[in-house]
Amino acid sequence: MELVLGMKDSYPREVKRKREMEFVLRNLFEKWGYEEVEPPTIEYYSTLENTLGDEAKERVYKFVDRNGKLVSLRPEFTTSIMRMYSKKEMRETAPHRVYYVGKIFRYPSSPLRVEDELTQLGLESLGKNGVDTDTEIIALALSALLALQELGIEDFMLDIGHVGIFQGVLSSFPLSPSEKLSLKSLLKKKDFVALEKFTSISSHPLFPFLLHLPFLRGKREILEETKKNYPLSPPLIDTLNYLGEIWDIISDFHLEKHAFINLGLIRDFDYYTGVVFEGFSPRLGYPLLAGGRYDELLEKSGSSLPACGFALFLERLMEVQKESIKKDRPPFISIAYPPVFRSSIFALAEKMREEGIPIIIEEKKGEDIQVLQGKELVYQGKDEEKIKTIIQERFKSWES
Amino acid sequence: MGKLTISIPTGRMKEESLALLSRLPQCPPLDFVNSRRLVVEQEDLPWRIIFSHPKDSSTYVEFGAADIGIVGKDILLERENEVYELLELPIGKCTMVLAAPLSTSREELLEKEALRIATTYPNFTRRYLQERGITANIVFLYGSIELAPPIGLADAIVDLVSTGKTLRENRLQVVEEIAPISGRLVANPVSIKTHSKEIYLLVKELKGVI
Repeated sequence: MELVLGMKDSYPREVKRKREMEFVLRNLFEKWGYEEVEPPTIEYYSTLENTLGDEAKERVYKFVDRNGKLVSLRPEFTTSIMRMYSKKEMRETAPHRVYYVGKIFRYPSSPLRVEDELTQLGLESLGKNGVDTDTEIIALALSALLALQELGIEDFMLDIGHVGIFQGVLSSFPLSPSEKLSLKSLLKKKDFVALEKFTSISSHPLFPFLLHLPFLRGKREILEETKKNYPLSPPLIDTLNYLGEIWDIISDFHLEKHAFINLGLIRDFDYYTGVVFEGFSPRLGYPLLAGGRYDELLEKSGSSLPACGFALFLERLMEVQKESIKKDRPPFISIAYPPVFRSSIFALAEKMREEGIPIIIEEKKGEDIQVLQGKELVYQGKDEEKIKTIIQERFKSWES
Repeated sequence: MGKLTISIPTGRMKEESLALLSRLPQCPPLDFVNSRRLVVEQEDLPWRIIFSHPKDSSTYVEFGAADIGIVGKDILLERENEVYELLELPIGKCTMVLAAPLSTSREELLEKEALRIATTYPNFTRRYLQERGITANIVFLYGSIELAPPIGLADAIVDLVSTGKTLRENRLQVVEEIAPISGRLVANPVSIKTHSKEIYLLVKELKGVI
């Protein structure tokens, strides 16, 4: 009875913390007018093929269905949701605001990591583009992380960038398609040493801008500084202005405290077409939340649907939860009774449960009723009224 | 936000790394070359320093246990850690090569039917062989790679060469230079966001003293 390699069992303590997070986030999304959807766990591989990058494709779980068609465990939700909402009737009733929660599956980058199955909770706004929608999604990402503060997720940040920055720089360079590809792959690998040696463009006025991108991060002022310091092309200036617009709205919402503009933000998925963002904590080396706009996700399959969304990684959020939050729940109270008390104890337990007190009941031999909390004997005797008060007092004391 | 944590490899690159860092403006003396301490936290130091095994330095950075680190390019090629590679450092210079016994010519080697190549860099070697279209079995060893061909364990090796002395003494020769290797400054993808100003400054100052 071995656990499958790469998978993980979750015991009550952990599941409880995860559900608490889900509860807070679902609540928030519902209040913003988002409705829950549930895509299936598996999709045809051909559905995912159009939207995943080469490396991501290799990391998808694949197998064949009874007809011999290649199917995959979902590696993320976005593609499934886009498939659901690209139907004609769905497009006609757009816009849609939806959220989801569930497991995603991917082979980790290293076989030594146990994270083949992760829980994602996220949302998508479908059928609308423009600064209003982008800002709504970013405001929700910030609100989600803020809402999790009460569960011990502190000192988080949200970096906002735009794929138009890299695209704008790349299109300014006179490069052959193959050179462009290798430049892109260096950017993805974040190899700025090799990038610096890309001699065919090293004399281009925008080359220093490209090399400095990882450090062009800050509050709103970084936009003006960048415009002043580098000879940007008009499309690049437009992109910077767009980020400025987003920033101003976020500030009017008073949500800018944890937000940063990061012109060098690179996301792994190839499908992003506009704004991108990533939430993280200085206490963890990888993102807690990630998202962006992907209007052309369905382009390859011939239909189009503008969309923007993000997903939170619950296991990673639990990793940065403050220790004090991870406190143990006190052991349950149980009542062990001889059969003669069966009816009355069952009625008593039901009454306690109605009051919200969890109770375990068990039959036993002997004459007395025993009340235990975990292994501690709290009461022994036949006085049912007394049992009731003891249990209520115990419960009150661990609730406070 | 606290100080940056920097991972410095022990072994051959430790002395060179410390010498390089101590050239930075206003850097206090870094007298840890012979020290066995693995973690150094000192008021007067601009960073918290951890000394890690040379092959692990970039792993500490990838997982965020260190914000930045110094690591050989050979390790980055082998491990493919998800880190920002920010700066080439003039330390730990050598070359990754394919080497074979003096008695074997290049053609003889590549025409062998069941070619066996010994290395401490199995991932990198596999990628290299695939790119070059060479079919070979890789024998993973922990060290003393030069021993493998004369003893008959392998036909060739993929390893680092600096002066070539070890190769010569074991009657081996370079068949192909695969990649130039040197030290790199790397950064964790989250740290480069949370500490972008400090890391930027360090890169700039290091460029000034290289």
